[in-house]
Amino acid sequence: MSPFWYLTVPSEEVARRICERTMLIKHMIDLWGEASTFEELQAAIQACPAHKRAPWGRAGTSFKIVVDGWGNRIEMPEQVKLIERLAFLHLQVGFPGRVPGAWEGGALEPGAGYLGPGSAWAPGNARVDLKNPDVTFRLVVLDNDSVDNGLPHTVHKRWYFGREVASSKRGLINQYALTRRRYLGPTSMDTEMAFIICNQAQVRKGSLVYDPFVGTGSILVAAGHLGAYTLGADIDIRVIRDGKEDKRGERVDVWANFRDYRLQPPVGLIRADAHRPPWRDDLQEVLDAVICDPPYGVRAGGRKSVKDDSVVVDDRSKHIVTTDPYPMGECVRDLLDTSARLLRCGGRLVFFFPASPETYSEEELPAHPALRLLANSEQPLTSRYSRRLLTMAKVKPYCAAEAARFHEEHKDTELLVDQLSALIFEPRRDNEGNLVDRVSNKKKWRGKAV
Amino acid sequence: MKLLTHNMLSCHIKGVTNGFPFKIEATEVSETEADYDPDFLRHIFPRLQWPALKEGAESLGVTGLPDEVTEELLQDEDFLKAFHHALLEVTLQEGALVCPETGRKFPVMKGIPNLLLNEDEC
Repeated sequence: MSPFWYLTVPSEEVARRICERTMLIKHMIDLWGEASTFEELQAAIQACPAHKRAPWGRAGTSFKIVVDGWGNRIEMPEQVKLIERLAFLHLQVGFPGRVPGAWEGGALEPGAGYLGPGSAWAPGNARVDLKNPDVTFRLVVLDNDSVDNGLPHTVHKRWYFGREVASSKRGLINQYALTRRRYLGPTSMDTEMAFIICNQAQVRKGSLVYDPFVGTGSILVAAGHLGAYTLGADIDIRVIRDGKEDKRGERVDVWANFRDYRLQPPVGLIRADAHRPPWRDDLQEVLDAVICDPPYGVRAGGRKSVKDDSVVVDDRSKHIVTTDPYPMGECVRDLLDTSARLLRCGGRLVFFFPASPETYSEEELPAHPALRLLANSEQPLTSRYSRRLLTMAKVKPYCAAEAARFHEEHKDTELLVDQLSALIFEPRRDNEGNLVDRVSNKKKWRGKAV
Repeated sequence: MKLLTHNMLSCHIKGVTNGFPFKIEATEVSETEADYDPDFLRHIFPRLQWPALKEGAESLGVTGLPDEVTEELLQDEDFLKAFHHALLEVTLQEGALVCPETGRKFPVMKGIPNLLLNEDEC
């Protein structure tokens, strides 16, 4: 599949506004030409209508050219050579001649005022500005054929040239890089994915956003950046309240992350059990989005509280509560039900759902009568394990009786995914009974070496 | 914990029917600045239990909220500022949430209420 898509948008303003938010688009480019070879690309650009090209060669306009290698790496000397080969541009594009302002007055016909053959690449009146150019041209070289990285060669060499209309703010990925974040856990969500989740959930300024498995707050940080009021819960008090010591021996926790980024702190962090959430009974239609990565027991197992009358609690302030494993089907059912109740109509639930590519079927996707599945995007992780980002919208008011009836009827469909951990980690044997996988003999408890 | 969160929570011990609102025992209260957004306040207002917010604010030392809120008040800048302050800026750092029915205290430490039930409460 090509990494490039053709898109028609009503205006450049719309393109810019899309790029303000998107994470998965790098640039939007006004395409001037594309071809399989450089020579054909040159012809294509020369055939591109002059009115499209002309405004960008006006007197005083500054520009730069960026060479993008896709599927390959183009070293700097090679990039410079390619830029030099684009010298034909200012001969043919209709960059104005040596009379400043002549073009602006509209006195020159497109194509008039060429500098003449043999001129060096230094346009008459447009000047190069690498730092802050008025316009950026992109020469894109898609070349996967000459690289052997183990991936199938599904696209062939292609050249593209055009004017950059908008660029996405992928700098955020660096700004919020996990490598520099002080409070992290083993399952902190990577920054890019956290922003993708927020985009799927349509998180915006003034949204009230809830993460019921907040952990170190890595998804809520992205929501906080977008101006949302954030709310998080977790059953593990050590993770949300106690935090860790950072390299300098300073205590860091979820609050510290928000402080470090100068984001408004969450409106609430609570220790609670997603299975028995402490929301008041009549609370409904209050959240704009629920975003989370539930604990599925692959890397971190879920826990829930459990009834046990044989336990005698003498001192509640010191008592450590026992918890039970939280089977995945139940965990997801609770998540959907809580979301269906607390989301406003039109609000979104976005979460990761694990799947094994070997056994996956749409049958096992969780469902709720008040929620409609809008998107189901697979992220392959290993040959045995992938996760799917599910986006759901609340489409009608919550009705407890209807939800209960629905869950009664759909009880068993989720059982398969509960065997996920075994499916992923269990060593396999070939026909003769020999182990196919390498097996570690380290003892493990709850996924951690002991 | 902000009062917005307090307004959403209730005691969920099995058998408890009047677990809302939690009484607040405050030993440390702080203030953190939050983004002021009148549209958000007007949107969230109908979803709140106003008497619980007013009572909660008073136990955190914030007085002067009206007993009742009218449509006109929701357009009034001074009121909205006070509402915003009580709902999103005043923070319970240390203390406890007390169940109005059973008196069970849920401790609040570092701004985080511990609402996990014990085995005999589920």
